Amino acid sequence: MPQLDTSTWFTSIMFMILTLFIVFQLKLLKFNYYLNPMEKPVKLLKPKSPWEKKWTKIYFTPSQLPH
Amino acid sequence: MNENLFNSFTTPTLMGLPIVALIIFLPNMMYPSPSRLINNRLTSLQMWLVQLILKQLMTVHNIKGRSWSLMLISLILFIGSTNLLGLLPHSFTPTSQLSLNLGMAIPLWAGTVILGLRNKMKKSLAHLLPQGTPTPLIPMLVIIETISLFIQPLALAVRLTANITAGHLLMHLTGNATSTLITLSPPTTPTIFTLLVLLTMLELTVALIQAYVFTLLVSLYLHDNT
Repeated sequence: MPQLDTSTWFTSIMFMILTLFIVFQLKLLKFNYYLNPMEKPVKLLKPKSPWEKKWTKIYFTPSQLPH
Repeated sequence: MNENLFNSFTTPTLMGLPIVALIIFLPNMMYPSPSRLINNRLTSLQMWLVQLILKQLMTVHNIKGRSWSLMLISLILFIGSTNLLGLLPHSFTPTSQLSLNLGMAIPLWAGTVILGLRNKMKKSLAHLLPQGTPTPLIPMLVIIETISLFIQPLALAVRLTANITAGHLLMHLTGNATSTLITLSPPTTPTIFTLLVLLTMLELTVALIQAYVFTLLVSLYLHDNT
């Protein structure tokens, strides 16, 4: 049976590995599934008040800590 | 006649050059790379098909198993397209070669087993013993389960090889029978011809099903081990 002729096995396997593991996968990586464009919700775009724009942290000195 | 029948299964080489490389590479050229946002019909159809296969195949797995999705999709596309292209007359089917199928089955199966042994050692070893076996039977059953584990890659490869080879051989034989019977006794030819037509339809389904089965089993082994 010609399938059992092991002289060609090395080439077949090498080229199969090349095709299957590298070429096909590179091709499939190019399949981009884009999301459809969605509207931005206008309600969430509330403008921030000036004290909310800047983040300040208030530090207590050890003497000022509430006991 | 024996030698003539099996001739279509020899790996094609042209004066020592392996043309089999080109034949293995051919299905890849049937899938054009999408380069636009909205592609042409062929590319869109293939992208839709890939998404369908992805949803069907990978919803069972957890996050770790889904990292194999690229591998499994490329596997099912490769085997399916190679089998279908092999149904054309005078063509060579790479998946009818035992070498190729062993080269696909053994690394994939070994990958799933090693993954299971590394990440969930106790659970993957626990698969070797079914639940609720009586204590005296345990050693024998462990041996049996180990043997059945090691037979999985061999079964994967030989299943695909045997199915494709047997189908192609049957088509060759019935084709030869039809062409000789036309000259000998024309009334029997329609019967044999319908057999050939039915066989071709069977082969179409077998081509697709074998791809599916191979990928499904690898996915199953993966599920056991992630």
